[in-house]
Amino acid sequence: MRPPRALRSVPLDERGVALVSFCGHCGTRPEPSALAAQPSRVCGHCGLGLVLHAGGDVAPRRDQPFLVVDATLSVCAVSAAAEELLGIDETQAVNKHIADFLVPADANAPSAEHLLTLLIEVAGGSGEPRTTVVRPRHEFGVRFRARIGSCGSPQAALLVLI
Amino acid sequence: MPAAQGGIALGEFASGWARADHVPLMRTLKTSEAAALLNVSPNTLRAWERRFGYPKPRRTTGRHRLYTHGEVTALRDALRQGLSISTAVSRAREALSANTDTLVGALAGFELDRADGAMESALALRSLERSIEEVLLPSLDELGERFGTDSAPWAFAARWADGWLRRAQRLAPPPVRRLAVLVGDATRNELDPDALATRAFELFCGRSGAPALALPIGGLAGLSDIVASLSPDAVVIAGGHDSDEAVAQWTYRVRATAGPLPVVLFRRSMLSASIGAAGGQVLGEAPFGAHRRLLALVGGRLPELRDDASLAMGDHDDERREAEA
Repeated sequence: MRPPRALRSVPLDERGVALVSFCGHCGTRPEPSALAAQPSRVCGHCGLGLVLHAGGDVAPRRDQPFLVVDATLSVCAVSAAAEELLGIDETQAVNKHIADFLVPADANAPSAEHLLTLLIEVAGGSGEPRTTVVRPRHEFGVRFRARIGSCGSPQAALLVLI
Repeated sequence: MPAAQGGIALGEFASGWARADHVPLMRTLKTSEAAALLNVSPNTLRAWERRFGYPKPRRTTGRHRLYTHGEVTALRDALRQGLSISTAVSRAREALSANTDTLVGALAGFELDRADGAMESALALRSLERSIEEVLLPSLDELGERFGTDSAPWAFAARWADGWLRRAQRLAPPPVRRLAVLVGDATRNELDPDALATRAFELFCGRSGAPALALPIGGLAGLSDIVASLSPDAVVIAGGHDSDEAVAQWTYRVRATAGPLPVVLFRRSMLSASIGAAGGQVLGEAPFGAHRRLLALVGGRLPELRDDASLAMGDHDDERREAEA
């Protein structure tokens, strides 16, 4: 006989979207019970990232490459998949400007769509999740669609390469 | 970090307070203790060491890891506000080096305002106790190593530190415990490195509600009146400058008035056997740990103390009186 399913509260972001927890390094989504058992924010799966929260429509799936950028456009976290995809090392990338690694793929895009503007808006807590196209700096012909939304805490912009 | 700590021989201790000859300051943690402080597993801590190179443990002669308490607590604080382990490590590294480097630079450059500013910055990141133990005292140690404790730069720095500690003492909250501590000040003067640790010890006692009154070991006249008025619960002999004989006379005078009080030693090795009657238990070298142990002692919950320091004056009181007679 299956045990009865228990109701649990689901935290929502300001847009009413369910918040999802994920590791800032491996992207694993911890179970709520595992989160409660782990008093620190350190991922219980890989131990190399902090557990962050983002809306379910923004949060990365496991092994999806992503970066976390703060309102000063400094890189705060690089997932393991993003390290592999972009050929960078998180320990070397943190505190550097995001433009050192990713730039808008279309330099002629309207300013509202500009990557940096989007990141600043989102990291400041305003703005719906957006999608734009980026490319690695110094590389041409390689493009990624990027989903940008808010994450935390503390509040920052989450850039998921899709 | 004081320069001399790089040469610490780690063989004789496990976790606790790492000390080399004349360089007592660094508190250390075993892997399990550091992991517990950070709420992570020991394996995670070792993974961080491989990936981030931080916290960087030293090794005992048995190859066991020993983490610096300051590094671990700086990381713990940074993790609370970080978005990744990398940024937390980066912030912890900056927090650790910035204040100490700034204070050393300010005092070496005779810039009092900048020295005050460095301590203000340290207080923004740490408690007063940690700011003193992790920034002020290590900075003074480094200056002492660099210039020597008989130099003018040391005198400048020590006087500034003494003044800073006294100002902090005046801001301590009013006593809430019915405890009083009498400190027999056996340091040379305010330029004695042990004097700064003693000021810090007094400050910590005062902040925990057990006021400490420091009196010089050499001042016997009128001592009984003060002791009778203060009714101390414990006597601490602080510093290693005054002779054992002088300490024994002072302690005897105190105990003759106040009765068989516990006598403990701070920053002083065990007294010689000839006057061992005045010797008591040895508190740790670091002021904060020493004050915690003293409060435990006075409160009747004494944690483990050094076995070789378990002499209590009461055991030897009669012998001492006979010897003096």
